[in-house]
Amino acid sequence: MRKFFTFVGEVSVFGLKGLFEAFRPPFEWEFFLNEIVEIGWRSLPLILSAGLALGIVLSMHTRGTLVQFGAEALIPSLQSASFFNELGPLITALLVAGRVGAGIGAGLSNMRVTEQVDAIESLSIDSFKLLVVTRIVACILIMPMLTLFMDFSSLAGGFLSERLASHISAQLYLDRAFKSIEWANFIPPTLKTSVFGLIIGTISGFYGYTTDEGSEGVQHAATNSVVLSSLLIILVDVILVKAIFFLFPRNAV
Amino acid sequence: MNSLVVPVSKESNILGPVAVEFRHVTKAFGNRKVLDDVSFQVCEGEALCLMGRSGTGKSTSLKLMIGLTKPDSGSICIGSEEIANANEDQLSHVRRHMGFLFQSAALLDSFTLGLNLSLPLMRLDRTKTPEEIEQAVDETLKRVGLDLDKNKMPNALSGGMRKRAGLARALVLRPKLLLVDEPSSGLDRITSSEIDDLLLMVKKEYRTALVIVTHDVRGARRVGDRIAVLDQGRLLGLGTASELDKSEHEVVRQLISEY
Repeated sequence: MRKFFTFVGEVSVFGLKGLFEAFRPPFEWEFFLNEIVEIGWRSLPLILSAGLALGIVLSMHTRGTLVQFGAEALIPSLQSASFFNELGPLITALLVAGRVGAGIGAGLSNMRVTEQVDAIESLSIDSFKLLVVTRIVACILIMPMLTLFMDFSSLAGGFLSERLASHISAQLYLDRAFKSIEWANFIPPTLKTSVFGLIIGTISGFYGYTTDEGSEGVQHAATNSVVLSSLLIILVDVILVKAIFFLFPRNAV
Repeated sequence: MNSLVVPVSKESNILGPVAVEFRHVTKAFGNRKVLDDVSFQVCEGEALCLMGRSGTGKSTSLKLMIGLTKPDSGSICIGSEEIANANEDQLSHVRRHMGFLFQSAALLDSFTLGLNLSLPLMRLDRTKTPEEIEQAVDETLKRVGLDLDKNKMPNALSGGMRKRAGLARALVLRPKLLLVDEPSSGLDRITSSEIDDLLLMVKKEYRTALVIVTHDVRGARRVGDRIAVLDQGRLLGLGTASELDKSEHEVVRQLISEY
């Protein structure tokens, strides 16, 4: 039990230090932009294709049920409500945890094992700021943007599916999709993904940066980063959804 | 660097300000003592080779010198700065005058060779313009014979080229103290001899103090002004190669024997 609380404390301090250092100069702009490309741009094909496929699948499933009640006109709004409120943020976070979390964990631990972290320190450069803070901040900032791509690509997938099934026009599909969506349904769930970004950056950064197990540590860091990030994202999502319902009661209706 | 002048050996004629000094340094990992009350000095322009069996604290000594790990007791001075209890800011200041060639060269594998060398200049010498940085990088790469490989990624370099690239990065800030971890490991005899030539050039032309951890007796005799032999955490012998040839400790004589 003591080991568990020690671990929680260490990870929390690691994440808080990352946030604090983000506001302290010198700012590592070049490295930060590299991470934006690595974490954001390179995740885009995964997010877009997953969103499109999930949109098609969800649309096909809901059609089968709603047709029985003559309510297929609700498919676009059901699709948008599902993705904007919950599925988009959560699935994006889990996909990024898999792709980016493993990458950060394995990349940093490999740098530790091959003495690259020591080499950076020996050059009087703060390796934590250079390698960890840039990744945490990039994860925090990029997650809401990736979530938007997931939301809209899933809508595109839903539209394609509906177009084939019922020949609905794009105009009508979008009208129905956004009819029941308000800013309060859209902004808080999208912004909550920054917290997921913080979790992914902190957990994978922690496992990668603090590894001391040699080459075996690279594998452990990658695996642990994905497993713990994914688990925490799902658990924290429960709290965040509750908080959103508290702050925006109309979302809960 | 301070102005303390010490004689370093009966035979070696190097006298000068102390570049690095260990005073009664002890370091343990768990129950295993890797350094036990070790003391020695290295002067500016001098090359000291640390030899010994694996796991006797040689690489740990280098990491202690650059502050990557802390001693359990004793004091470590780099020039006039005591670093055993220094904080990160103080260490950062001291490290600006030091270079470290890692055993694996430890080049940042996501950067080109040129960027690996530019990084310390961009961060630590803000007075330099991009053109001056470019020029310093080009000059240093030319010194180590890698002027045509500036845009290559580290994984495109051979073992010997990586070592030379690591040396170039360590030298780009013109350090007063260069720490070298096993320069000949994984290299053939000709290539390791080329690395030794570069280390001799650094010592002679820049008057840089060198502390070299090595198992290569031939290289140690060639580059080192003195050799320190560590065994089971203790400093068993310290002197020129010819002095150590007459050591009373058989381990010392065995370790520095070329045959």
